[in-house]
Amino acid sequence: MTLTRTPVSSPPAPPAPGRPAKRRARLGRQDGAAHVFMAPWLVGLVVITLIPMIASLYLSFTDYNILSAPTFVGTENYERMLDDSRFWSSARVTLVYVLVSVPLQLAFALALALVLDKGLRGLAIYRSAYYLPSLLGTSVAVAVLWRQIFGHDGLVNHALGFFGIEGTNWLQNPSTALSTLIVLNVWTFGSPMVIFLAGLRQLPEELYEAARVDGASVLRQFMSITVPLLTPIIFFNLILQTIGSFQAFTQAHVVSGGTGGPVDSTLFYTLYVYQQAFVNFDMGYASALAWVLLAVIAVITAGHFLLSRYWVFYGDSDD
Amino acid sequence: MRELSRRNFLVAAGIAAGAGILAGCSGVAGGTGSATGTRTLRYAFWGNTVRQQNFQKAFEQMKEALDITLKVEFADYDAYQERMTTQMAAGNVADIFWVPSPHVMTYEANGLYRPLSEISSLDLSDYSDADLKDFELAGSLNTMPFGIFVPVVRSNQTLAQEDGVEIPDDWDWDWLTDFAIDYSKNAGGDRKALSYGADHDLSFEAWLRQHGEQLWTEDGKVGFTEDGLGGWIEWWEKLRKAGATTSISEQDGVSPSWEDVGDRCLLWFGNSNHIVDDAAMYPEMDFQLHQPPAGTDASAGHHYLYFPRMAVYQETDDERAELAGKVLQYSTSDVEMPKVVGLTMGVPPNPRVAEEYAEFATPDEQEMLRITAQARDADRRPRYEAPPGTSAWRTTFTRVLEEVTVGKASVSDAAATMITEIDRGISRAAD
Repeated sequence: MTLTRTPVSSPPAPPAPGRPAKRRARLGRQDGAAHVFMAPWLVGLVVITLIPMIASLYLSFTDYNILSAPTFVGTENYERMLDDSRFWSSARVTLVYVLVSVPLQLAFALALALVLDKGLRGLAIYRSAYYLPSLLGTSVAVAVLWRQIFGHDGLVNHALGFFGIEGTNWLQNPSTALSTLIVLNVWTFGSPMVIFLAGLRQLPEELYEAARVDGASVLRQFMSITVPLLTPIIFFNLILQTIGSFQAFTQAHVVSGGTGGPVDSTLFYTLYVYQQAFVNFDMGYASALAWVLLAVIAVITAGHFLLSRYWVFYGDSDD
Repeated sequence: MRELSRRNFLVAAGIAAGAGILAGCSGVAGGTGSATGTRTLRYAFWGNTVRQQNFQKAFEQMKEALDITLKVEFADYDAYQERMTTQMAAGNVADIFWVPSPHVMTYEANGLYRPLSEISSLDLSDYSDADLKDFELAGSLNTMPFGIFVPVVRSNQTLAQEDGVEIPDDWDWDWLTDFAIDYSKNAGGDRKALSYGADHDLSFEAWLRQHGEQLWTEDGKVGFTEDGLGGWIEWWEKLRKAGATTSISEQDGVSPSWEDVGDRCLLWFGNSNHIVDDAAMYPEMDFQLHQPPAGTDASAGHHYLYFPRMAVYQETDDERAELAGKVLQYSTSDVEMPKVVGLTMGVPPNPRVAEEYAEFATPDEQEMLRITAQARDADRRPRYEAPPGTSAWRTTFTRVLEEVTVGKASVSDAAATMITEIDRGISRAAD
């Protein structure tokens, strides 16, 4: 693929003598308007994001039960995690959830996008139908629905019963409870699917025509053209879904009644943070847990970016 | 158009930010002092939609009687506790609020309650000295009970008649064990004698008190031993393994779902007040309440009453506190209140109101009044509320029961784990 560079335009002509004051005034007016338009966002950023974050960082070094003033305890909250078995349980549950559900979800989304990219009639309807679970998937209603589907007398067991297979209460069995939440997450593949679909629409048809002329199979075309050209989109979806999965909360909260049960099998990290903050009133420890999560997500995201140079292909790169 | 200078912009942004911060601090209903009107109070409580509608009707009736408007802050139980947590942090609690049971002593330790002795509009002359002593927390009358629950076993009389069995008034744990196993073997279909109910806190407390132990001690410690807790879990495990209870899978977890298995269990461990809402789910069935089983060697004074409580916020000013006293008075000492809201929150603690209400009570409520009166008449050792740091004890209880029922922990290990975790929470809160 040859890439053409846009010629560098010549630098703007210097302002005519005698006009700088007028120009500065005009730019000043523009600056003022820009500040006014940005102000709500800036205020929001500072008041409801930055200040609470800084407060949370401070609280993570304190013993704070909400009702009494926080007392500084140094790194005690961070050290406490090392001996906290439920911290490790929640970390393990969350890691399994991320490692299994994100690749599955992306694979599912890409597969569906490839099917929809074939120019089906009524594409808009299919796209909307598949996207719908993404809108509902993290809602309480769907989590409640999940209880009806995977419960003892739920749809899944009725279907299994048709084949003479005795089911279980999938949500109350520690061996299967997390799997049902992974299925729920995979089911919300609509959002990455729409992004994949948009990416597929941008792939140049002439490359496929050339490949077909050379006798390349469909699989070869997929592996040698589609996947490499789609890697920036895959990377983008991977980052978004990984971060989102680390932060998953609602499904586990509703399905387990806020306990993370049975036997902590659905104790997502965020659920544990919530329990510490709002059940145990242990805001200092909860803040420390939250900062550890932020650090882990930051490290993993940075790792993704570092590794991306080995597998993500950008059309304008020199590689 | 006037030009916006950098200075003007910064001033405007500062004012906007300040206004935003202040608006944010004003909270759900505009802050303690900002409930509009001098005779308007903020009132926070929890429940389901039916309860909300009933209480709203009662509050409208109260407004006509007292000329006090209540600005209601309502949520379900979990959301209510979260909101209370944030409101406490902001010092923005409602004038009158219901107290979630796990936090009774936590709120007390942090001075959230206004002593009721400071409120002259609250007339407590209907109560005996013993009643008032029962209501106290840490030696002070600072919360007002507005209901009474007692632990009960609820029998499904429709199933009992169909299966030709009778539940005796005087029964012990061994008798119930044999009966439950026998009934579940012979009842046929998918009927069971019991749901697995080991995590029912009031029944567990009844068991402990019968065995000479208690849930919490006066000085805010765990009041039970590994043997006491282990014995309770063992009793349930024996029944579960013998097929005398619904399985954990059927009943959707160790906390049984009435909706899923309520119509095929002969007996159900629960609170006395649950009969009102639960019976409504199966209107074709009749239910009866029984005292929990008790051996002849049960410890004296094991009966007890559990009170849901409401309180007046410590920061409420004197004038509003007097109005709050009138609301408390109406809520607990006027029969018009239960006539509208029913007994979903238990029997009125005011004995006069309980007596007056009897003629309006439904058959299920009559049952509740009868069984509560029995417990109220019995000798009772003092009962102490959960100390600070134990707000998650029920979650811990559920988790260790799950570990036992899936075979991940032995009964003795589970009991030891639970006591250790609760002790740790108490120590942390005390530090």
